[in-house]
Amino acid sequence: MIFHSLAFAVFFVISVAIYWRLPLAAQNMFLLVASYVFYGWVHPWWPVLLLITTVVDYWSARRIAEHPDQKKKWLWLSIAANLGLLGVYKYFDFFVGNVAAAGAALGWNIPPIALRLALPAGISFYTFQSMSYTIDVYRGHAPARSRFVDVAAFVSFFPHLVAGPIMRATNLLPQVERKRSFSPAAARDATVLIVWGLFKKLVIADNTGVIANKVFALQHPDFFVLWAGVFAFAIQIYADFSAYTDIARGVAKWYGFDLIRNFERPYLASGPADFWHRWNISLSTWFRDYVFIPLGGSRRGPGRVAANLMITFLVSGFWHGASWNYVLWGAYHGSLLIIARSIAPRVPKSLRPLQVVGMFVLTCIGWLIFRETELTQLIADFSLVPSASTPLERSAGLYLFLLALLYSVPLWLHDLWAELGGRDLTASIDRPEPAPRWSRVATQAALCGVMFAVILVLRSQTALNFIYFAF
Amino acid sequence: MAKQVLSLAIVLAGTLIVPLGLRVLNHALPGAEVRDSYLPTVETPRPREPFDQAAADAVRDVQPQFVVIGDSMAGIRIDPLQLSRQSRTSVVGLYQQGSPVAYWYLAFKNLAAENDLKNLRGAIFFFRDDQLTTQVQVTPGSLDRVARDREPELDRVLAANRLGGFADVHRAARTVYQFDRTRIWLEPKLLGAPATFALRATVDKALTAPELVTAINTEVFALDRLRPFEAADLAAASGSALDFDANVDDSLLPEIIRLAERSKIKLAFIRVQRRPTAAGPPPQSPALKTYVDALKGYLEARGAYFHDDWGDPDEPLSAYADGDHLTAEGRIRYTQRFAERHARFLQ
Repeated sequence: MIFHSLAFAVFFVISVAIYWRLPLAAQNMFLLVASYVFYGWVHPWWPVLLLITTVVDYWSARRIAEHPDQKKKWLWLSIAANLGLLGVYKYFDFFVGNVAAAGAALGWNIPPIALRLALPAGISFYTFQSMSYTIDVYRGHAPARSRFVDVAAFVSFFPHLVAGPIMRATNLLPQVERKRSFSPAAARDATVLIVWGLFKKLVIADNTGVIANKVFALQHPDFFVLWAGVFAFAIQIYADFSAYTDIARGVAKWYGFDLIRNFERPYLASGPADFWHRWNISLSTWFRDYVFIPLGGSRRGPGRVAANLMITFLVSGFWHGASWNYVLWGAYHGSLLIIARSIAPRVPKSLRPLQVVGMFVLTCIGWLIFRETELTQLIADFSLVPSASTPLERSAGLYLFLLALLYSVPLWLHDLWAELGGRDLTASIDRPEPAPRWSRVATQAALCGVMFAVILVLRSQTALNFIYFAF
Repeated sequence: MAKQVLSLAIVLAGTLIVPLGLRVLNHALPGAEVRDSYLPTVETPRPREPFDQAAADAVRDVQPQFVVIGDSMAGIRIDPLQLSRQSRTSVVGLYQQGSPVAYWYLAFKNLAAENDLKNLRGAIFFFRDDQLTTQVQVTPGSLDRVARDREPELDRVLAANRLGGFADVHRAARTVYQFDRTRIWLEPKLLGAPATFALRATVDKALTAPELVTAINTEVFALDRLRPFEAADLAAASGSALDFDANVDDSLLPEIIRLAERSKIKLAFIRVQRRPTAAGPPPQSPALKTYVDALKGYLEARGAYFHDDWGDPDEPLSAYADGDHLTAEGRIRYTQRFAERHARFLQ
């Protein structure tokens, strides 16, 4: 089921209405059933994989708690099961294909055995979330839970199941276990966030996505058209992914749950480290805590820190997809961080606006690597020079850039406003007011109404899937 | 608590009430003449392009014996003049690049079957894979030039296809908010601004903003500049779109067949071969193969002629230009083969 469908609207209204009439234990069971219905709506077999992950991790965590002397064995079982599931569905064909290609280069004929399995949406997200539960139990950061329903509800909680944010057991499981009460003030702020998310998805992301798709369908784009397409994609992926997070957080809030913010105006970052504190925060911190720090983090010498950073970003890139361009994208960002660590202290603060622009350009270069799955095409793209463009192509590039800019004006205005100290729509949900201020309520009502009107009129005629469904 | 509930109700009400302002805007701003749509279930009244009577007259002037209908798949394969010469008949091509089956149905109905063509004997549809029964996305205005004032069959099929179980909700929203009408006048204004600005950067000052957009679409994004499609992107296709029996009754295929029977026009359906690989024909999934078999059985049981180009050894990779399109040379050879292979149909 997708958020921007009438089927989901009906599902949401009915499930919220039932949910708040149930006692806590029944609420969790209801959430579990609702989540499995949500996830299996189009592909009824997908919940089977979710159930396997949940059972393995619930059981492993219990064994870790009951047999501390064997806890490493049970941890590895959990990691192997989760990564094994990911490996089969996401990486097997890629791995076999590369082995066959390497063999062919050496003159060996290795027949490629492709499984051609359809990738279940969100598998990378929920396996990581579920795995973090056993790791946290292993580390002693969280107790192993005895109630299977609570753990299953935590793993499958549908608002963020398919595209995050990735929640830790230490954060979400206590929320599952404690009594929740309906807060109209929180639901009001959540509604604003949901409408803002729908606006970003249907008006900004899908319209700029059409531009990007058009440009990336060209075999021989010119310099200006290509980079206009990259700009459009940069807007699309931010609007699309942050829209999913906003809707997820808003929907979760209606059920009495707090999901963490996943984006904090990333395109206003002043450098690579700042960018990764603002972009896909739940995944960045996951890799920081479960890969970078176990590798040694920043505790050893500069060489080792650089290696740890690079390994973390390579893994992060590979997490996004079974394709070399994602690995390259990870390496690119890892390199940026390593370089920035060495030169950052020398940059004066007065240059911050320039730093922001510079970082945005660097981010766009990264998005080209991310979007272009064919390496030969990527090389061709980087070989383009402005002087080879015709006047019409220059105009086309400018036109497409302005079009993408026009669609993204609300996003830029919101982010700039919030960065300069104004109210951030994505943050206000975390600070509900004890008593309503009517001027604010009126503003929220008008804002939601205007956004809904613009959605009705300017939503893209081409409906695109959420980009991160593919990961 | 009561105040908080009230504040929530105000926000929810505002979300639903403020868009009613679109009706006021539609009323206040001057626009083109608004007419009832020929698809009243899926569109609110809006300005529309007129039916292309000149095109209908031109076809009637020729009084063809056969019409060839489709998108670029048809246009890039059949040269009507060459086919007319070789088959000693009169053939007219009713092509529209990138058109959906809804367009083909209207072209067949309004430019052929109901256009007083006294000699018309047959209609030949070219399509790719599951196009004949696939779900139809029709943007407002895209069918105007081939649509009459009322198209009840198409309206029924589109409503079932696009709106499914929520048809009434969609219809109510369209009626209440009239957002289609707003889109018609607002979108060109909004999207024209970047074109106007970009125009200042072009050397050809004679161009207007709409002409610039057209030039970008037809030259910068010309078909021959697109990347080759992934080798048969339907190779791994499966799922509900390929369930022929589940989709056929809500498609336009029964309407096309009914119309042909009523007008005593014989039908031919040609499934084109998508871009082959260097090693042979494009791969196709078992589900697609099953779909094509079911389509063939359905059409032949109703007296229509069906031919599948898939696996044709005379259409190797070298005959293709970009994507699923043939080269100019390939088009000549295809038309020639078509006249020879389907001579009985063309009699």
